[in-house]
Amino acid sequence: MAPRKRPPAPARGASAPPAPTEAHRPPRFVATKVEIEGREETKIVELPDRNPQPWDDAAELHVVGARVPRMDAVEKVTGGARYTADVLRPGMLWAAVVRAPAAAGRATLDVSAALARPGVRGVLTLDDVRGIRLDGMQLLDDAIHYAGQPLCVVCADHYALARAGAAAVRVTVEPAPHAVNLEQALADGAPRVRSRGNVSPRSPRLIQRGDVDAGLHDAEVTITREYRTPVALHSALEPHGAVAEWEGGRLSVWESTQGIFNTRSDLAKALGLGLSNVRVMKDYMGGGFGAKNGASAAAYLAAVAARKLGRPVRCAWDREGEQTDAGNRSATVQRVTLGAKRDGTLTAIVLDATIPLGMGGWEAGPGRIYHELHACPNVRTSETFVYTNTGPMASFRAPGHTEGAFGLESALNALAGELGLDPLELRRRNYATADQSRDRRYSAKRLDECYRRGAERFGWHDRAARRATTSATHVRRGFGMAACVWGGGGGPPAYATVRLNRDGTADVLTGAQDLGTGSRTVLAQIAAETLGAKLADVRTVLGDTERLPFASNSWGSITTASVGPAVRAAAEEARDRLFEAAAAMLDAGVTELSSRDGVISVRGSERTMTIGEACNRLGDVMIMGQGSRGPNPEQTTIPAFGAHFAEVEVDVETGRVRVVRIVAAHDSGRIINPTLAESQLEGAVLQGLGYALFEERVLDARLGLPMNPTLHDYKVPTMADAPAIEGFFVGGADTVANHTGAKGLAEPPIIPVAPAIAAAVADAIGAEMPEIPMTPWRVLAELKTAG
Amino acid sequence: MRLTVNGQPYDLAIAGHESLVAILRGRLGLTGTKVACGRGECGACTVLIDGKPAYACLTLAAACEGAAVSTIEGLGAAERLHALQQAFIAHDALQCGFCTPGQIMAAAALLAQTPRPTEAEVRHGMSGNLCRCGAYPKIVRAVLDAAQRLEAARGA
Repeated sequence: MAPRKRPPAPARGASAPPAPTEAHRPPRFVATKVEIEGREETKIVELPDRNPQPWDDAAELHVVGARVPRMDAVEKVTGGARYTADVLRPGMLWAAVVRAPAAAGRATLDVSAALARPGVRGVLTLDDVRGIRLDGMQLLDDAIHYAGQPLCVVCADHYALARAGAAAVRVTVEPAPHAVNLEQALADGAPRVRSRGNVSPRSPRLIQRGDVDAGLHDAEVTITREYRTPVALHSALEPHGAVAEWEGGRLSVWESTQGIFNTRSDLAKALGLGLSNVRVMKDYMGGGFGAKNGASAAAYLAAVAARKLGRPVRCAWDREGEQTDAGNRSATVQRVTLGAKRDGTLTAIVLDATIPLGMGGWEAGPGRIYHELHACPNVRTSETFVYTNTGPMASFRAPGHTEGAFGLESALNALAGELGLDPLELRRRNYATADQSRDRRYSAKRLDECYRRGAERFGWHDRAARRATTSATHVRRGFGMAACVWGGGGGPPAYATVRLNRDGTADVLTGAQDLGTGSRTVLAQIAAETLGAKLADVRTVLGDTERLPFASNSWGSITTASVGPAVRAAAEEARDRLFEAAAAMLDAGVTELSSRDGVISVRGSERTMTIGEACNRLGDVMIMGQGSRGPNPEQTTIPAFGAHFAEVEVDVETGRVRVVRIVAAHDSGRIINPTLAESQLEGAVLQGLGYALFEERVLDARLGLPMNPTLHDYKVPTMADAPAIEGFFVGGADTVANHTGAKGLAEPPIIPVAPAIAAAVADAIGAEMPEIPMTPWRVLAELKTAG
Repeated sequence: MRLTVNGQPYDLAIAGHESLVAILRGRLGLTGTKVACGRGECGACTVLIDGKPAYACLTLAAACEGAAVSTIEGLGAAERLHALQQAFIAHDALQCGFCTPGQIMAAAALLAQTPRPTEAEVRHGMSGNLCRCGAYPKIVRAVLDAAQRLEAARGA
């Protein structure tokens, strides 16, 4: 290894006091704050040796910021990309899951007929997995907690045989009363959903600042509304699934997961294995959207079945399993009171929310965005989380904020109506310049630019003139808007290695995941920029716990901002080593060298050589660089912002809403690849459109059973529903956030969609929309109420 | 029975209940054709049977005797991409890519029947293929662009 030439630079943002015993040496491991899915965590970080100068807006960049094609697109359009669903191992058995046909009770299984069927090699029941718990529940429990809960697994030579075996398992249910919705769970004498009761022990979660009573007293206008949001299902096209294979005491698992290292920890713990004896791999993945953040039930079942039966086992949910037992976005009931002065200045925001969680999950809650999005000295949110006999919630693209934005932004739009103010102007008058909930600065905030440029692009101020231009007399046109804030600053720990091969091609190695977001591409762009390599010569290798350094889950819109700086640091170290070697070959000083597009040149001279030539002359000497993500700046919140403007047509005879156009303006710092970023933005708008108009898990309250666990009955948007989407990014690098200047962008653009559409519908029909999805019958009902 | 896939004949012993997609993926290793719902609701398993689009999950393999089955693997390889594949890449008409083979095969069927579709015809003709990542706007653009590319190639 070449000696490091530079002394360690002081880490930005890390100013922990020196240890008293070693006053000359600052601590190497310090604490830093990282926001993930709206929750802030304290992480230990090892201060990196290398802290590259931030790429500010003046930085001359050639590959970063370029609209290059997705680097794995050829694999994806030819069918060559191998997803977990495509992994076939020699001798592999297929598992089929028997699920609970009732929401509560006790199940008794008779598996003898299944075992007698041709091709069936074995079953797993409770005794095989005792002690393995997910969301606080025993896996394959005979006590039924929700319809669709796995009861037993049948393994056979082929999937069809496994399914036939599963169908032959006799399930006898001794039924018990259930509570599948809020009304049932909170009723007097309600059946006990969890042993600790039907309300989460941390409820109500009360968060407040200022004095809302005084704020309401000072208000000149007060409004109160109640909003309802549905349970939404992720509906990723690749269902949860895993393949497990044992070699002696070592376990290899291929899983469709957003977090290979989380999955490894989960499996190792449950199976009593050392982390080094569990290898988790994930190459391509058919969507996650938050529901695949650790080892799935399918992974535990595959691992245990493979150990028991001595053959590799594939266990994957079928579509019905995916729609009933793979997590969901919690429903909410949000009672909102806003107080304001006549000029629109907010004096109080009050939220009282009830959230049915299903059997568990974590408590995302709609409350937080009420504290963050708009300036207001007096805010109080109270959230009560309720257990019901339904599948547990799981993070779903901006969990909590997406639900909360529907309440908060709808209420703000209602207040604007009450005050006779333009909804955009009302937001401008309540512009928050710092993080009020944590009392600290923002790294950057360009929401004002989102407002201005979004409104301009949309023609917000000319909308009145366009109102009358509808296609028929029974069609009314309307316009609405909403805003969002979300974390996405990312943070440590994240590591990367960049190594150069002797032909000059480069491998970027990091244990992150690409869910379809484009991480593979943007990380290669960062490495190519730093190395001065051709992008086509750089390949990102992701998704293998055994071969790759740690990177965290791909969640919370953090991957680019977490892993990107580590990749840049690694590439910089590799480049410095390469230059040291090339300097001698070019008879120049190291500081005279620069590289771009695969060519190393000497400043002020014609002498050049390609990276490939330099590497080739080195033979099998391997140029390698290591990089890690440094700490976040202290006392700083690193958010992403956005503003959406929606235009709709409502057919007042049928109640059908057609979204005509959405303009989405976002601030996510530097955009590494605008094309891929816009793809994500459009996708989030479409998911938000589904949430606003179509998507709702329907349960039969009496039977306790899901009524629409298919893609036919649970309506996700189709191509015919897609409006014109004009998504774009404002501002530039956030150099306070991290040295790449990039922030998260996957989740923010789903947050404002539903309230913007709801406001447009309200504008069209003259009646507020208090509940989503805005199905035709709900629209007709509101029309009727409004007269 | 004899099954012809991407021009290659295969002699296979097939049980009556086996679906075409199970044979393609499990027996022939052609995993480009995906299964996302297994019940004809999402279009991820779209293949062409004698040039017409079909859900391979709902098609019995045994019913394909004598027919020509085309899958994404037969459309174009990395070194010789079909105009649709090129257009999907150029327009970034995909994210996770799981629905992409089905989208492209559905588009191929659409363009075979309607070589110069309008935007409305693309939206209508392909609305049976779900994409949860929401690549629809770019898929529409890619299909219209591919139609032009194919037409130019025919004219040349």
